[in-house]
Amino acid sequence: MSGPTQKYRDKDVVNILTKKIRTLAERSSETVRIMHVCGTHEHDLVKAGLRSLLPKNIDLIAGPGCPVCVCSAQDIDEVLWIADNHNVTITTFGDMMRVPSSTESLYQAQGRGVNIQIVYGVSDAIKLAEKNPETEFVFFSVGFETTSCVTAAEVVRTKLPNFSIYSSHKVVPPAMELLLQRDDLEFDGFLAPGHVSTIIGAKPYEFIPEKYNFPVSIAGFEPVDILLGIHAVLKQIIEGTARVDNVYKRYVKQEGNSAALRIVDDAFVLSDARWRGLGIWPGTGHEINDKYAHIDAKKKFDIPNLPTEDLRDGCICDEILIGKSKPQKCKLFNKSCRPDYPIGACMVSHEGTCNVAATYEEIIWEE
Amino acid sequence: MCLAIPALVCELVNEKRVIVDITGVRREADTSLLEESLEVGDYVLVHTGFIISKLDPEQAKEDLKLWDEILSNQ
Ligand code: SF4
Repeated sequence: MSGPTQKYRDKDVVNILTKKIRTLAERSSETVRIMHVCGTHEHDLVKAGLRSLLPKNIDLIAGPGCPVCVCSAQDIDEVLWIADNHNVTITTFGDMMRVPSSTESLYQAQGRGVNIQIVYGVSDAIKLAEKNPETEFVFFSVGFETTSCVTAAEVVRTKLPNFSIYSSHKVVPPAMELLLQRDDLEFDGFLAPGHVSTIIGAKPYEFIPEKYNFPVSIAGFEPVDILLGIHAVLKQIIEGTARVDNVYKRYVKQEGNSAALRIVDDAFVLSDARWRGLGIWPGTGHEINDKYAHIDAKKKFDIPNLPTEDLRDGCICDEILIGKSKPQKCKLFNKSCRPDYPIGACMVSHEGTCNVAATYEEIIWEE
Repeated sequence: MCLAIPALVCELVNEKRVIVDITGVRREADTSLLEESLEVGDYVLVHTGFIISKLDPEQAKEDLKLWDEILSNQ
């Protein structure tokens, strides 16, 4: 589809924008750090080679924006426990298959006979359960607001006795606030995720400039979109102002997608969530609302406390996920941990920071 | 994961379903998550089979104006 997309890849516009970004950056004698919180941003900006176009004193940091990467080992442990103890078939996204649990990945579990099927999304998981009424299915659902609204649409309308959902969904703005509150992180502005924002709108980020006097811009995913976002947040940083600039207005409204938000509010309640290697982050999870308990795998099955281990020896995914370290700092990076043999969660998905760096051989770490 | 793909609405099936064209491939998409009504020729974003946003053509024009501004005062 050419349509409205092509002009957002225009080489001349990219050139002029990078020049403008360079001129702005020259006004700072220090390094300016901009954090995005979206795996698709990381993938798309690296694929387009945008980091190499930016001036040396701009550091574009990848935050915890890959839902597969931030999924804690315990969530996978619990899903596998259900499979092992209740003879269910697990359905999930392909991206989840090689993410390590405490002991194995879903892919490895499949190898020892656990029934696991990859689906395109929750609706296909439901179709599968409809077709096989004698089999019990659990859909293992991960994702931020973009994905949780889709899961929500099915939570509120699906009544199948042999189907439930294990929710590992998370929300973005409260996680951004927790990043701001950490004193071990240093950054100057946020590039907010475009597709999450099509659902939640621009409004939920407003507390960031208001409470923290911290700049935000909302950007889409074409090269021009990302550069416009960087330009907008950089301009705020250089000028010492803070607001939410929305440069993805063609898809992101101030109030978001109200129909989707109503369904999400009905289907989910906010909860504390486990983030890989980072412990429990209060108020950053989406659990299925009690009124839909019949479809909640966590309520349907009595899951015991399981010992859990998020990080394999040497893996620094905890630091990668919050942008504290870059992949090249990990001793295993591109050695024992590779896209075809991932050891840590950040190497699995094509949106994981380590996977992106390994796939595109990007030099993003200079001491 | 949060990948949403731009698509063109090319057929209205019923209240909750439309056919979209994603880079030449036609498939059904669910409209349950959308407040606005759709017409053939609308551009939308599709995430795992659901339409999550409709392109605002007026806003897209505004975008271009914003670029002109940014690009002109170099
Ligand atoms: S390279 Fe592998 S082991 Fe190292 S932090 Fe990344 S995912 Fe973890």
